[in-house]
Amino acid sequence: MSKVARRHHNGKLDMVFEPRRGYTRMPHVFQQPPLKASRELYEGKDPTATVFVMESSGGMVAGDRNDITIRLLPGSKARIIQQSALKVYRSHTGETCVQSIDVQLEEESRLEWMPEVIIPFADSKFQMETTIRLAKGATLLWGEIIAPGREMRGEVFDFSSLKSMMKIYVEEELLAFDSLHFVPDNLHLNGLGLLEEALYVGSIWLVSEKADEIDLRAIHEAMNVGDGLRAGVTRLAGNAVHCRFLGVNQWRLQQELKRVFSELAALI
Amino acid sequence: MKQQNDDSSNLSNTVAIPTDIQFLRLLQIHDSAFPIGTYTQSYGMETYIQDDAIRTKEELIAFCTTFLYQNLVYGDAILIQEAHKAAKDRDIDRLLHLENLCGAIKLAKESRDASVNLGRQFIKTVSPLVEDAFFDEWKNRIAANEIKGHYAILYGIYCAVNNMDAHYAVLSYLFSSVNGLVTNAVRAVPFGQNTGVQAVHLLAEEAVAAAGLVAGLTEKDISNNALGIELASMKHEYLHSRLFIS
Repeated sequence: MSKVARRHHNGKLDMVFEPRRGYTRMPHVFQQPPLKASRELYEGKDPTATVFVMESSGGMVAGDRNDITIRLLPGSKARIIQQSALKVYRSHTGETCVQSIDVQLEEESRLEWMPEVIIPFADSKFQMETTIRLAKGATLLWGEIIAPGREMRGEVFDFSSLKSMMKIYVEEELLAFDSLHFVPDNLHLNGLGLLEEALYVGSIWLVSEKADEIDLRAIHEAMNVGDGLRAGVTRLAGNAVHCRFLGVNQWRLQQELKRVFSELAALI
Repeated sequence: MKQQNDDSSNLSNTVAIPTDIQFLRLLQIHDSAFPIGTYTQSYGMETYIQDDAIRTKEELIAFCTTFLYQNLVYGDAILIQEAHKAAKDRDIDRLLHLENLCGAIKLAKESRDASVNLGRQFIKTVSPLVEDAFFDEWKNRIAANEIKGHYAILYGIYCAVNNMDAHYAVLSYLFSSVNGLVTNAVRAVPFGQNTGVQAVHLLAEEAVAAAGLVAGLTEKDISNNALGIELASMKHEYLHSRLFIS
């Protein structure tokens, strides 16, 4: 007797933003469960559309896929917020969960992707591929936080594998390629030069024509580090900036990452 | 002229043993006195030294081992191997892609600049010594500012046009990189000469194992898990006093 195989979830979310009568609207959205997008929300007269992305299944299970595409037409401005942390459950079948995010930012558009935490549970397998393409004059601010597992339950780097690939292209040229591949069984993540005492990894990516004007030394000096948090900021090729955070404590890392995120958002 | 060993029944058929002159040429370009400026780069190690995190031989070896296995193996070494193959195939488009990728994976500005500075010094030093149309073409692209000229890519091309096997190109690069780091640590920490010698002696075995790993990797394996070192490279820019430029 063979068990009936569970059908994998394949969440899909395709969002297109465009400026209409002074505000950015999301006239085209395709959603397939468990992914879902809220309607556009606005803060006062700010034309930026804020959209919440929801994952109604509660988390990804062995072999599940999430495919998200985001396209900002020329001149549109959007802020996307994940409603909750992304949970990746134990891979009981050995299959990998995949999250693919493709972003296309056309001329003079602006996207902010607010960081939420990715939590790979014990024995989970997760792969995320994020590709962002920017046209001339487009602005990006992107944040991401990876947890070691459900730390409060003592689950620290107990996942099977986690692969994260982030590619940023500006006008068709690959500007940054950040690729992490953590397989805790084969890798002493706490070794010198790796994560050391840190459990959480945070990243911010910024692309803006105003990037050159940002005083990175000032950003660096204002970073509230120590007490288990380390952080750095560097200039990428082109008009881009990258910040990395390595922290022992989730709350502390998240607070500081969000503070730097807002500080940068105000500058571009 | 020495013949390349193409005998497919040879036990070492996957790797062509360097000829005597190729062996000496490799020794020469990896000598610490070869003027490409390796002695000025610490790739973030100086940040660790200033944080007092590299005080013992064991810590030095741990740092170098992480740099070797997590940064070089899955970064420059794969790119050398791929550039070597692309140069053998005379595949310019592929080399341009690898050149771009080499810059994109080096997120910390100083590591990226180091790669370009070493590359530029390397080509200046070796170009009077190499007679090869393909190598010249790559050199002209750098001169014309069409490309940056990352060291790993140039070095892969150099070894390919001189018929040096990719395995020895990678092995000697890995060894000379950690050897350079240890030499710099001996000056900066400082350590006694014997500590340095003993560290390099041990790291040589790691370089052999690492080169063995690289042989089975391709572009899709590129990654960088050495986040502590990368962060240290990012912070190095803002250190108050520095011996090294990265």
